[in-house]
Amino acid sequence: MKDLYFPVMAEITGVKQLSPMEKLFEITLPGGADLDHDPGQFVELSLFGVGEAPFSISSSPTRKGTFELGIRNVGMLTDVLHRMEAGEKVGIRGPFGSGFNVDDFKGKDVMIVAGGIGLVPVRSLINYVLDNRDDFGRLIILYGSKSDKDLLFTDELQQWADDPKVEYHVTVDSGSEDWTGNTGVITTLIPGLDLDLANTKCVIVGPPIMYRFVLLSLNSKGLPEENIYMSLERRMKCGVGKCGHCQINSSYVCQDGPVYHYPDLADLQEAL
Amino acid sequence: MTRFLLTEDKVTTFIEHLQSQKNVFAPHKRGTNSFAFEQVSDPASVELDYTRTLHSVKKFFMPPREQLLSFSLTDNSFTEPTVDPVDAIFLGVHSYDLQAVLKLDHNFSEGNPEKNYLKRREGALFVGVTFTPDKWHFSGSVGINPNDAEGFDVFLFAVENGYAVEAFTPEGEALLDGFKMSEFDSDIPAAADFNQHIYVPQGKLTEVFDNAWDNEIWEETSKECVGCGTCNLVCPTCYCFNVEDGVDVTATVGQRERHWDACMTRDFSEVAGGEIFREELAARQRHRVYRKFKYISDKTGQPWCVGCGRCTASCSAKISIVNIVNKLVQDHEQATVAPV
Repeated sequence: MKDLYFPVMAEITGVKQLSPMEKLFEITLPGGADLDHDPGQFVELSLFGVGEAPFSISSSPTRKGTFELGIRNVGMLTDVLHRMEAGEKVGIRGPFGSGFNVDDFKGKDVMIVAGGIGLVPVRSLINYVLDNRDDFGRLIILYGSKSDKDLLFTDELQQWADDPKVEYHVTVDSGSEDWTGNTGVITTLIPGLDLDLANTKCVIVGPPIMYRFVLLSLNSKGLPEENIYMSLERRMKCGVGKCGHCQINSSYVCQDGPVYHYPDLADLQEAL
Repeated sequence: MTRFLLTEDKVTTFIEHLQSQKNVFAPHKRGTNSFAFEQVSDPASVELDYTRTLHSVKKFFMPPREQLLSFSLTDNSFTEPTVDPVDAIFLGVHSYDLQAVLKLDHNFSEGNPEKNYLKRREGALFVGVTFTPDKWHFSGSVGINPNDAEGFDVFLFAVENGYAVEAFTPEGEALLDGFKMSEFDSDIPAAADFNQHIYVPQGKLTEVFDNAWDNEIWEETSKECVGCGTCNLVCPTCYCFNVEDGVDVTATVGQRERHWDACMTRDFSEVAGGEIFREELAARQRHRVYRKFKYISDKTGQPWCVGCGRCTASCSAKISIVNIVNKLVQDHEQATVAPV
């Protein structure tokens, strides 16, 4: 029987500062093996003596050989991790959970609504779509952030803005003096969109408070609920459906999620 | 199957007979009114007539703390822990506690089977005994009676002056081999009645819990509850855990351990950054009770509570899961029965 709790020892092969609070870690498995994940899945990363925590995979499975985790420095484990450099070892278990079923999105317009650090997991899907551009219709990206200083993946944001095949809209809650873009919460970006409602698959990832408002907005826009997907954050301690920490009613986020089809979530109390 | 009579005066010899085959764990009296499953050294100290142990036999298969791996910080390597089967006889187990073991077997086998738990379960033999319901037991309401022998290798049915002994498995028959007893051919007397009940047929619990989410009982209960998590820790079917790393004083080696956790505690549903998804005590109490009567039950068709009464008996506020469920049942009946 396979042991559920043994990590594979992987190497940090690159570290990049994304914002004052976030870093992007490139991880390489032994022998450069593929992680073989779906966009939206997560791994358990551990540092011996410090602990283990779940992190969304930020890279697309189309980019082989390594994978990336975008990590905010917010607790003990992430604080230690943020002091680590290329060449150091981390333990990896996974990939775990149910990610985005990209087949559901093929031939459809894909709309992404990402708030703050929610861009990290959904970037795996964005890059998947970009790498298989002809399989999908329009790619609409709405990104909201607290301020322009907190924007993540700024190089990629610029590429999306420059790409004629990407409709990229960004807004910040409050911008600095040199910010010339939109100001306001992310829902302000929705009314102005011209959507093919029946043909648009929408993915929402962000802080809990954002879901409620974005859902209201999409609802008044007329987007059918069965076209909505979201990824939820919970403390998935084991990743294998045992420890109970991520449970929402009868659903284990580490098994049924973190990506949920919205109609399946509507009946789950405490989900949003 | 044949039953044999084990008279009261032969019980210690019977325990010695079991000890000659494997280690025996059985209830022992601790303090004034508390019992614990411990390894038998003196057969005379075993208490077969007991109310309930503080912890169930779960602690032997899913220890309160256990090592998942040990590691070296010098070279970032790790070593697999040694997990041995609990090759022992558990004597004097009540029917509800064995039912709880069967439920844990399900939880640790389904989906991703867990090696540590399943390895420990190999080799354990269970000798059950009739219990007399006290004021907290209510297992009859979840379909478990004092003489239920399901899952046992041997069962000791309480009869006048002793026990009627019956083996249910080849392993159980082997345990009795070589121990002389006369045949018992009378009927087993009916077990004593329960002193409290959940007043709803089991089949109706699903319906009751479908309508219980907004019941005021959750808020009411939370006024008494302090969120200590004792109810989780003494529950024989609770198996949630946390995982933490510890480093020894040399700061060169350490171990990753899992320990029992409790969904009644505030930080159980906390995520990085401080968001807590069941911040209110009422929400936590509801989660605990729903886990026993709905969440797992919807998938397995059985209540995941075995009616041992530990959560109430050990609660400093004496919050009663029976009273909670009965209130839900009562409110459900009132809401669904049309007025005459």
